[in-house]
Amino acid sequence: MVVIQALVDGILIGGVYAVVSIGLTLVFGVMGIVNFAQAEFLMLGMFVGYLAWAWLGLDPLIGSVIAFAVVFALGCVVQHTLIRRVLRAPPVAQIFLTVGLLIVIENAALLGFGSQFRSVTTPYQTSALRLGDLFISVPYLAAFLMSVVSGLALWLFMNRSWYGRAMRATAQDGMAASLMGIDADRMRRIAFGLGVGLTAFGGAVILPYFTVHPTVGAQFVVLMFTVVVLGGLGSVAGAIVGGQAVGIIQSLSAMAFPVQLQNLVLFLVFITVLALRPQGLVGGAR
Amino acid sequence: MRPSLVLAAVALTVAALLPLTLDPAGYLIRVLTVTLLFAAMSQAWNIVGGLANQMSLGHAAFFGIGAYTSTILLVNYGLSPWIGMLAGAALGAAFAALVSVPTMGLRGHYFALATLAFGEVMRVIANSWPSLTGGPAGISVPFAPDSLLMLQFKSTLPYYYLMLAALVLVTAVFVVTKAGALGYRLRAVKENPDAAEVVGVDTARVKTIAAVMSGGIMAALGTAYAQFTFFFDPETVFGLGPISIRVALIAILGGIGTAAGPIVGAFVIIPLEELANSWLSAGTAGLSQLVYGILLMLIILVQPRGLVAPVEALAARWRTRRAR
Repeated sequence: MVVIQALVDGILIGGVYAVVSIGLTLVFGVMGIVNFAQAEFLMLGMFVGYLAWAWLGLDPLIGSVIAFAVVFALGCVVQHTLIRRVLRAPPVAQIFLTVGLLIVIENAALLGFGSQFRSVTTPYQTSALRLGDLFISVPYLAAFLMSVVSGLALWLFMNRSWYGRAMRATAQDGMAASLMGIDADRMRRIAFGLGVGLTAFGGAVILPYFTVHPTVGAQFVVLMFTVVVLGGLGSVAGAIVGGQAVGIIQSLSAMAFPVQLQNLVLFLVFITVLALRPQGLVGGAR
Repeated sequence: MRPSLVLAAVALTVAALLPLTLDPAGYLIRVLTVTLLFAAMSQAWNIVGGLANQMSLGHAAFFGIGAYTSTILLVNYGLSPWIGMLAGAALGAAFAALVSVPTMGLRGHYFALATLAFGEVMRVIANSWPSLTGGPAGISVPFAPDSLLMLQFKSTLPYYYLMLAALVLVTAVFVVTKAGALGYRLRAVKENPDAAEVVGVDTARVKTIAAVMSGGIMAALGTAYAQFTFFFDPETVFGLGPISIRVALIAILGGIGTAAGPIVGAFVIIPLEELANSWLSAGTAGLSQLVYGILLMLIILVQPRGLVAPVEALAARWRTRRAR
């Protein structure tokens, strides 16, 4: 029973991990860039959600939409002013530009918000649904459902809209897409905005059960990379499977190891997968 | 004599004589000592990052191994840090060989990610094994009277010369490696790994040798750091920002893959950091790091080949003009 409970928790948390990581994988899929600063956008999303709650009294689940919009706009600017310039540069430039971005965002947040921990209070924060012997935490469930909805919305956008098709075309071959009259720069801008926006959205929906502070991103960096590497960099479907896998690994290892060592388990999974199947467990298709 | 050799000789003479004009226990000499140490660390990173073009974001792993090995041996068994340094370097080299196994086939982003994970693994282990490492509370080097044998001094001056010697040694290793057969093989791997393999370069072996050298040296420098600061914790020696990213940034700023790069980079970055930290009050924590990040992005966007490159280009132009 304890194991089943851990599995349920793992799946619910994993849903959020999936959405957060879809952002990262989307950026890689369209631009071929590994964004080391991705987790910082999650932190920004949490802060937007927090401020929307503190100033406007909005529930974080509604605030998450604002977080998405704000960070989407910021992402477009970052893509236009910074990322665009290293798209054809060697990996060293791409790696260290996003590492620089990571340092800048984290410390800007430290200056702007201070280093204290903050959390929101919601009426459903500590409530749980009872299913037989199982407890389903309401904030976990709410975050999970929001994640599923946003995942579906992204899928519809990518597969049913002109923008989505144009973006996938840009991902496959930017030059060819340009020749077909697609503004590839604009598509990349939207893709980066969408990617970091989704991650920010995921950050805001976990606010009811997660405290926010400027360095919270560090807790998610390896987690997000583990998710996308498990699923294959650039694969959205892979990120969903990877997110579930990481959620389950985390909640199962929580039963066996003390808190500090849970991350260690994740690191080892990450290194093993990277070494054995860098193209991801789900397969090369994206 | 080649101009670069003349330049090196002049720089070394200045570096050797400069502290005689400074207060031996003062602030300035401390900054210079840290600068020399980071130049040496960055030079060690340069063997993997510059020559083999493998962007490691996990060099803190080796650094921390060296710091902890010598300090634990000293605390528990009273062993001289010199022996601890050798033991640490051996462990660091062994760990580098171990890390090389799974990361060998990885290129670019994947290599950076994997090494980042290894560095973080070491940080987590150091934090969660208090009986050995002292855990998050950190570990102190036990006090001893001034002695070369125990590598402990009250004045900063001996440490200055220790770090200077370390920098000269590591730079010599870098220059000899770069000019030697290994350097040519590494260059082949860097330019085109597949082609290098075809012409008979054992790319896996060449990359492992570079990693082992780099890891061993980095660990030895970790011991030097521990003896210099007397106290450290997992965040300071295994930290991603304080060590791994910083040593890479120094090399990139100065000029990646060049012998002068890490030295120039360290002499720009470390004093700049110190200035920022002393000018800004404690209330504005984060501002110096913010400046740091902006600087990193600017270098990448404006001068990705580093500060040394334009100087070299200028010197080359001057030489050709004179030859005419």
